[in-house]
Amino acid sequence: MRVLIADDEVLLRDGLARLLQDAGFEVVGRCGDADALLRMVEARRPEVAVVDIRMPPGNTDDGLVAAQEIRRRYAEIGVLVLSHHLEVHYAMRLLEDVPERAGYLLKERVSDVAVLTDALRRIGEGECVVDPTIVSRLVARKRARGPLDDLTEREREVLALIAEGLSNNAIGDRMYLSPKTVEAHISQIFMKLDLRPAADQHRRVLAVLAYLRAS
Amino acid sequence: MTRQARTMVQPVAAWTVALAIAVITIAIVRGEPSASLAGESALALTAEVAVGLLLVAAAAAARAPAGVRALLAASGIAWLMAEWNSPGAGAAFTAGLVLYATWPPVLAHAALQYGDRPLSGSAVALLAVAYADSLLILGSVSALIFDPRIEGCFDCPANRLLVSGQPDLLYDLGRTGLGIAASWSVAFVALVCLRLAGATSARRRMELPVLLPGAIAIALFGARAVHGAERGFLSNDPTDRSLWVAQIAALALVAAGVASERMRARRTRNRLTELVVELGRSSPAGRLRDQLAEALGDPSLELLHSRGDVEGWVDGEGRRAELPTNGSREVTRVFAGGQELSALVHRRGLLEDPAVAAELADAAVLALEHERLGAIRREHLNSLRASRARIVATADAERRSLERDLHDGAQQRLATLAVAIRLARRQLGPEDQRYEHELAVAEEGLREALAELRDLAHGLMPAVLAQEGLRPAAEALADRSPRLVVGELPTDRFAAPVESAAYFLVAEALRRSAAGEVAVSARRQDGRLFVELEVPGGIAEPITDLEDRVGAVGGTLVATGRSLHAELPCVS
Repeated sequence: MRVLIADDEVLLRDGLARLLQDAGFEVVGRCGDADALLRMVEARRPEVAVVDIRMPPGNTDDGLVAAQEIRRRYAEIGVLVLSHHLEVHYAMRLLEDVPERAGYLLKERVSDVAVLTDALRRIGEGECVVDPTIVSRLVARKRARGPLDDLTEREREVLALIAEGLSNNAIGDRMYLSPKTVEAHISQIFMKLDLRPAADQHRRVLAVLAYLRAS
Repeated sequence: MTRQARTMVQPVAAWTVALAIAVITIAIVRGEPSASLAGESALALTAEVAVGLLLVAAAAAARAPAGVRALLAASGIAWLMAEWNSPGAGAAFTAGLVLYATWPPVLAHAALQYGDRPLSGSAVALLAVAYADSLLILGSVSALIFDPRIEGCFDCPANRLLVSGQPDLLYDLGRTGLGIAASWSVAFVALVCLRLAGATSARRRMELPVLLPGAIAIALFGARAVHGAERGFLSNDPTDRSLWVAQIAALALVAAGVASERMRARRTRNRLTELVVELGRSSPAGRLRDQLAEALGDPSLELLHSRGDVEGWVDGEGRRAELPTNGSREVTRVFAGGQELSALVHRRGLLEDPAVAAELADAAVLALEHERLGAIRREHLNSLRASRARIVATADAERRSLERDLHDGAQQRLATLAVAIRLARRQLGPEDQRYEHELAVAEEGLREALAELRDLAHGLMPAVLAQEGLRPAAEALADRSPRLVVGELPTDRFAAPVESAAYFLVAEALRRSAAGEVAVSARRQDGRLFVELEVPGGIAEPITDLEDRVGAVGGTLVATGRSLHAELPCVS
């Protein structure tokens, strides 16, 4: 898989590149700011761009803005945003416009090759990826009594995996359930939460995140 | 004698003299009507006496310096003596010979000083000529050589000043004197016209009602002088009488002009008094300016107050202001008790009218002092508030920069280190297990350090607050601290200091409450952000620092038992 790495910390960028190369990825470019990222994506057309959220020139959320731009411009190029921010808000901004081929992981995952390669692979296949730590905090948030209380323990687990962006098959694999059982859980969850069944798997990530955030 | 007592006594003395002279004049005219200007007509006599007394009355009522008022009264009295050179004057005859032509120079003198003007060089010269002409040439010197019998007046009383009758010289003297009288009259009219033309509109409005009829009266006197020049003396032929009647009218107008000035001043005083009364009731900042602008008729008026101990000026709201330095606006400074209170910036000439300026000083000083103290207090408050806001803003900026340093520095380094360890583990290969345990521990430690740093950075100043606003920041806080229940929050953005004040209020309430839930909700209403916090578990005292933080952006914080209510202005 062809990936491109954008991070203003040179050592981190190079280390990450070596990790990914060792894991069988082809690193087609490295850069350190948002403008260079956009130029390099245009020139080298990677399958996924790995982007640090905070980069020059603004050093705030320039990486996220550039990632959104990439998603809008190139339907076939995915983005994986690495961030020190735990806020679901940023992840939702990324998924808002085009809820597919995009992922948001905490920066500390860079050394966890398994998580990283799994995320890149899923993004390459068109899925969404949201960091499990973010999702679990969101699900655990203190709420006034509401529909979430009506979910079974199992259904809550499934809900969290949906929010992380997993496909039905992946959820089944993770929970040792048959695809039919997973589907049954999902339709049960959507009914209890009064959510409209999403047109595709990608859009339901956003719907669930929005539900969790708003409730 | 005190100033007040003197001003009481002078009119009494003037009235006594004027009434005595009026009685004498009536007796003289009635005694020999044919030789008088009033003649047989009771109406003419009444008008003649009345206008003299009117001038005395107007002088008493005038809002003018004592000197001008004395001159006005003297001109009225002198006017009454114009008939005293009549054969019917009896014992007053000699005085009449000297003083019959005195009223024009006295009136001219009063007019030239009216409006509290210093006499110019040309005015002094003109008055010197006029007084000398009336009192010496036409008056006393002529009296020395006027023998009534030689002139054919056998009924005339004795001239007690007579030294030697010189009819030819008397004739020449009379012609000369009347010629001079005509000349100075013309010069006076010219001087008055020049003065009115050069005056500001405010001053013209005030002086015209007196100077114009005064100039007409003097011009009529000049006309009589021309008319009498041929025969060498002023007489009472029909032409003289017509001019004399016109003079009465002109003098009546002078008296009316003086009185109207008093009325005008009284109106101003009333307006200013109403102003003081109204301001006594309540005085919102800046109201005094509006009131003064209305009372004085200058909508562009600005009112500034001296800062007192330090240089500079503030407006009614306590904002720093500068006095204009270009000449387009005029500045009138108000002093009280030797201290500079305030300054009025107004259009040129507005306060040139001494009556208005005096009223302003009398009536408005209290109100000015009152507003000035308020303005200074507001300025102090403003600067305190600004400095408090700056302190908080500086602290926020430091937290923000610390958060950024942590992120760009330590967090990035640790992430890099984690990658380096992972690379080392891969190089050792799966079959080399010597350092596997140590490296795994190091990796785990790094992960924990990163999580702790993230929480630390977030606690310092969450990036999401500056980038996304209050609601996402509060939600992020709720994700970290499940005790926080986020209710309705506005999605709008507010000024950064307001957002951070509201955010830290929530974060601190959460941190200081021992246990249990903390519920936050907020709404925007009437340009203010209302933040409500329910803390059923109670919040640890004191909360002074929270009050300070809210106060620094101009808001208020009320703690009632187990809840906090903050009210913040949306724009700080």
